[in-house]
Amino acid sequence: MLEIENVDICYGDVQALWDVSLTVKGEEIVALVGSNGAGKTTVLKTITGLLKPRKGSVSIYGVLSDTVPAHKIVELGVSLVPEGRRLFRDMTVLENLEIGGYIGRARNGKDENLRWVFEVFPVLEKRLRQLAGTLSGGEQQMLAIARGLMSEPKMLLVDELSLGLAPLIVKNIYKTLKEINASRKVTILVVEQNVRLALEIGERAYILENGRISGEGRGIDLLNSEQVKKAYLAMG
Amino acid sequence: MMHFAQIFSYGLLSGALYGLVALGLSLVFGVMNYLIIAHGALIMMAAYMTFWAFFYLKIDPFLCILLVTPAFFVIGWILFKVLYQSLMKFSEGEKIKNSLLISFGLLLVFPNLAILFWTADERAVATAYTGKVLDLFGIRLPYIGLGGVALAIIVIIALHLFLTRTYFGKAIRAVSQDHEAATLMGINVNRICLVAFSMGFALAGIPGVITSLHAFNPGISMDLTNKALIVLILAGFGSIKGVLIGGLLLGAIEATGVYIVGAPYREVFGLILFVLILMFRPQGLTGKKA
Repeated sequence: MLEIENVDICYGDVQALWDVSLTVKGEEIVALVGSNGAGKTTVLKTITGLLKPRKGSVSIYGVLSDTVPAHKIVELGVSLVPEGRRLFRDMTVLENLEIGGYIGRARNGKDENLRWVFEVFPVLEKRLRQLAGTLSGGEQQMLAIARGLMSEPKMLLVDELSLGLAPLIVKNIYKTLKEINASRKVTILVVEQNVRLALEIGERAYILENGRISGEGRGIDLLNSEQVKKAYLAMG
Repeated sequence: MMHFAQIFSYGLLSGALYGLVALGLSLVFGVMNYLIIAHGALIMMAAYMTFWAFFYLKIDPFLCILLVTPAFFVIGWILFKVLYQSLMKFSEGEKIKNSLLISFGLLLVFPNLAILFWTADERAVATAYTGKVLDLFGIRLPYIGLGGVALAIIVIIALHLFLTRTYFGKAIRAVSQDHEAATLMGINVNRICLVAFSMGFALAGIPGVITSLHAFNPGISMDLTNKALIVLILAGFGSIKGVLIGGLLLGAIEATGVYIVGAPYREVFGLILFVLILMFRPQGLTGKKA
């Protein structure tokens, strides 16, 4: 359960978010969409404690995020797959996964978690000893998601998954995310520039424009709304 | 030919020591982009500490490692808290600049402290085995030098295993690549940096002990730092495995230079090597990009 209430965020004197409120409840897939520079990544950085809100609150499973240091957020059950993947490029695939499961509770279940992520992404098992930086773009994105899953999260935040990847690969990875959501009851928040794709995936969705939430509703409804068609899908 | 083999093997013995000298510097730079130019001064202080322990307590220098290493770990811990922690928030370039400034200061403070405590006279720890040599097909290898090689190999392998086999070691490497991503994985970056920094100081203790077995004085600080920097450039910044090879290579090249031109020019060859590497292979011999 993630609740963001009336949050303002500033980078120095420059305000990036105005009065943003957003809720993600158990076991759903939620999409946060918006164009480049709308503030999507800022929202995620606020959730993961890398930025502190000037106003408003972020609560993760009942804990206010600005009361815990940034490295403790993952222990609350929220795992971020960052934009640009941010893998540890000079470490092997296995080491990346081990670091993904660095926190105490995940270390005990390491073997089982590895078996699970290899089931989800079989290609990673073949690349086990390879350096992460030598993987293809799609494989890197899979590794980034797998690394995020190694901490046994209740909620997975996925930032700009489609960036720099072929459409077919993106589609497959989104399909896999849906399966993870269905089989392991992991709540997923996807953040996307590719509005059509995200609204198809998200049961519910929020639209972020210039740092403000400008629309919310069911993904399907938003996809058919005049606002979205006009601004994002170049229709009408 | 025999003469060359003798000089060359001496070069390799010193080379292993150069590797040890560079190890702590390399670790700290790799993890947090702090260039502790005062590393040579730390080694010098460790040598004096060994000298005292031997002189007053009659502790064998090699055993002193168990004393000096933890002591320097603590010193590193304190200096990080007092001087270096505040640099954590800076960008990469600012970190290098500011840490350089601070450690230039330390490079003044430590040698002057040493002059105050021990005067500027040459000292050396003279053990029962000082001057004893192993005769290997006519090549004379001092036991002290061989001990240094063995230590260098053991320490570098141990550090390598620590960094690749333990969760803590892997976390150190993760932090060295991406602070923010490491934080997302639940790693306490500040704590990792504190420990890695203190380990870098502790690693100054080991070459310090070996240094104490030869004649030394407070003025060797800058020489040692120079050697460490050359080895670092050879190995590639932040490469732990490359450090031993870089050290041996520097030792070998110095020895060859000594044989061809003469002993007074020993330092020159290292510095020429330094310039050549920076010109033609700035990422280091084994390294990826700097």
